[in-house]
Amino acid sequence: MIRYAARRLLEAVPILIGIVTLIFLLLHLAPGDPATAYFNPNVSPEIIDRMRENLGLDRPLHEQYLRWLRSFFTGDFGYSFSQHRPVADVIRDALPNTLLLSAVSLVLIFVVGCAVGAVQAVRQYSALDNVTTFVSLFVYSMPGFWLGLMLILAFSSPAMPEFLRLPISGVTSIDYEFMGPIERIVDRVRHLVLPSFALGIASAAGVARYMRGSLLEVINQDYIRTARAKGLSERRVILKHALRNALIPIVSLLGLYLPLLFGGSVVIEVVFSWPGMGRALYNAILARDYPVVMAASFLFGVLVLGANLLADMLYAVIDPRIRTD
Amino acid sequence: MRPHAYFAVVRKGRSADRIVSPTRRIVAQDTLARPGWSAWRVRRALTLLSLASTGWVACGGGGGRDEGAAPLILGYTADLQTLNPLVSTDQNANDLIYHLLYTPLVAYDSTYRVRPWLAESWEFEGKSVVFTLRDDVRWHDGEPVTAHDVKFTFDMAKDERSGSPLGAVYLADVTDAEVLDQHRVRFTLASLGSQPLESFYWPPVPRHLLEDVPPEEMSRHPFGRSPVGSGPYRLVRWQAGEQLVFEENEAFAPSLGGPPAIGRVLYRIVPERTTLLSEFIRGEVDVYGTIGPSEVERVENAEGAGVVAFPWRMFTYIGWNTRQEPFDSAEMRTALALALDRRELREAVLGGRGSPASGPIPPWHPLAPGLEPLPYAPDSAAAILEALGWRDSDGDGGRERGGRPLEFTLLTVGTSPVLADLAQIVQAQLARVGVLVQPQLLEWQTVLGRHRARDFDAVLTNWVLDNFRVDPRPLFHSSQAARDGSANRSSYANPVADSLMDLGVTLAEESEAREVWAEFARILQRDQPITFLFWNEDLAGLRAGLEGVRMDARGELVTLPRWRWASTDREEAP
Repeated sequence: MIRYAARRLLEAVPILIGIVTLIFLLLHLAPGDPATAYFNPNVSPEIIDRMRENLGLDRPLHEQYLRWLRSFFTGDFGYSFSQHRPVADVIRDALPNTLLLSAVSLVLIFVVGCAVGAVQAVRQYSALDNVTTFVSLFVYSMPGFWLGLMLILAFSSPAMPEFLRLPISGVTSIDYEFMGPIERIVDRVRHLVLPSFALGIASAAGVARYMRGSLLEVINQDYIRTARAKGLSERRVILKHALRNALIPIVSLLGLYLPLLFGGSVVIEVVFSWPGMGRALYNAILARDYPVVMAASFLFGVLVLGANLLADMLYAVIDPRIRTD
Repeated sequence: MRPHAYFAVVRKGRSADRIVSPTRRIVAQDTLARPGWSAWRVRRALTLLSLASTGWVACGGGGGRDEGAAPLILGYTADLQTLNPLVSTDQNANDLIYHLLYTPLVAYDSTYRVRPWLAESWEFEGKSVVFTLRDDVRWHDGEPVTAHDVKFTFDMAKDERSGSPLGAVYLADVTDAEVLDQHRVRFTLASLGSQPLESFYWPPVPRHLLEDVPPEEMSRHPFGRSPVGSGPYRLVRWQAGEQLVFEENEAFAPSLGGPPAIGRVLYRIVPERTTLLSEFIRGEVDVYGTIGPSEVERVENAEGAGVVAFPWRMFTYIGWNTRQEPFDSAEMRTALALALDRRELREAVLGGRGSPASGPIPPWHPLAPGLEPLPYAPDSAAAILEALGWRDSDGDGGRERGGRPLEFTLLTVGTSPVLADLAQIVQAQLARVGVLVQPQLLEWQTVLGRHRARDFDAVLTNWVLDNFRVDPRPLFHSSQAARDGSANRSSYANPVADSLMDLGVTLAEESEAREVWAEFARILQRDQPITFLFWNEDLAGLRAGLEGVRMDARGELVTLPRWRWASTDREEAP
């Protein structure tokens, strides 16, 4: 197992280098650069040239690339042109917010997805199955940003009762610092509800579809018939025998949905003013803030590869028949 | 991103409390609908007891200043870059820097004339000017603001290595600074001109905190994120991408108005407009800066809110590439300008707000020449085109000459709804005189890049004036016509215009300068290197119950230190 993990980690290195190289090239192909993006257009060309020089943007492309790569591997993420502070600070502020939002969404995706899928499979072709199938396909087809905007409009409507007026922007309320510890937790949870819902619900619908299929397949297996023949209660048959086996393929979905989650966070974080990595990346692209774009893409790459590795290893843990070596 | 983020326009400065029209629910004042706020107040009441010993309550309190504890919440879509005045280039940050955090040497009054600020007086001695600073202004860390700070800031700005736009934009005509004593500093100017004091609208930074910083490190120094200023507010916290928290500077010089009325100001960053608009309507944001024309109706219909319109330093124009056919002919450019119905353009995209433009000096400026813009005269336009040989010989509705149709690409910023709409109306208007326009909508950076590289036929875009100094040379001087990346992107070159601009910026007598600028505007109107469409107007959403608000071309926040919550609010306060 450890050897397997080590090999996978080693394999990830060229992939990550490939990712950052590709992004570096794409970024420099896009018109404009930080010096023009960051200045208002009234500033004279001399000042812009001076700025370019200060930022090292006057050097040949391969030189910029090598220099960036070198400092990157020594742990120096560089300096954000548009935020006037080290990229490491940008990440330190933004990454925890993104991880929190993603983690909550991930739980939502798998808990809601598995629960709905399981109910659908057990009550196959019932009215409940048909309705939830329709709803999950509907939700699955909805773009996240649009759903987000609709949620914002709905929860801002004067018709919404006061206690249901969930926050639509930010991580905490403006008076967070004046709250007691319990109030603070409640405040944070309230702020998480809408963004994590908008970010996760489409994927949850997807997981539900997989779960339904997977459980249906298991239910028709011989050993389930055996379990029923033994006289076990239906509840025990489903929960203990069928569900555990049906969950195995679902674990591999983790590797599939995490990239979607991080991709979606770019849009959802902008819509809900969530100060995370997705939004930092979005702003950095508009400002042509190369170091932030590179660092953020790299981190997303690491997270996605890490999630894939985790999914594969979990797979082996859950299903003893699978050997990693 | 800035230029097309504004949909502003210019009209005479009006104060907000009068603008919010009576039809707009000001009636609801005594039952001020501030849902988010009332909830906040309840929660605050609960937490107040446990906070009684902290500095926050203390600084908000004080006899009869209870309303000072209610924070003012500003909502903006753009994140801020830096609050170091030496290296700041973005307008939103500059509003905070100039009006909240620091004290510039001079300021502008509501007629856009220079008035004393940190400098209480000045005296001209030949080509130099001696400023006497107030002795009661202190940095937020308690140190006094002195002439040494002023000189340090000047030297740093002039040092090319710092890459400070301050040095290039404001201080081009100032050659030297010399400290006479603690509170007096002498500046030497290359030439006086009609507006010598305009060069000093910038705030000093604290020397004692920054003197060891190498110039080339200035833009990276953490000072920009945790500034120590000298203005009516100090920054207490900067949560990147979320909010900036300002608190009143209780020691702010009484001669400059003393501590502000509202003790706490939050600058919230909400990047998505729909979200920000919703927050404003919910009452979670008190001032929604830079609303778009399409959002006006929702803001006006919101409970306890209104719209403020105020002049802005931005004009919208079509730039012609005078280096290439057919725009190398002034007659051709004039014909196209005559064929544009600018009133219709303004009606369509700004709901009629804004004002006509006839040159680069805004109509509300003290030096405005008062020249009438070209009329809408499609018949004259058609006659000129005929005379130039452009005729519709094949009867297809489009003109051609020597077999070549009269058509061109109009480049503009697709992400700006206002410009994108404008481009289509321009297309329709020019089609009426047989000119075929192909709008091309691109992302802002790409448009700017092509405009700078002079890789365009015609471009529809905005121009924002940095300040109130009249100096159109970067835009129109022939020395800039062929220069890489210069602002004279239409490559306009006319020796008469050159000499008028060179003369205009040196004339000390205002009436003479005004005459020269009027003549310059006439020449510009005849040559039409760019066609001015209109001066924009800016719009802001404002919570009812805020008093003393006045927004004008100086910026939205210019009077913020004197804003206060209406007395009804105070009566409700616990």
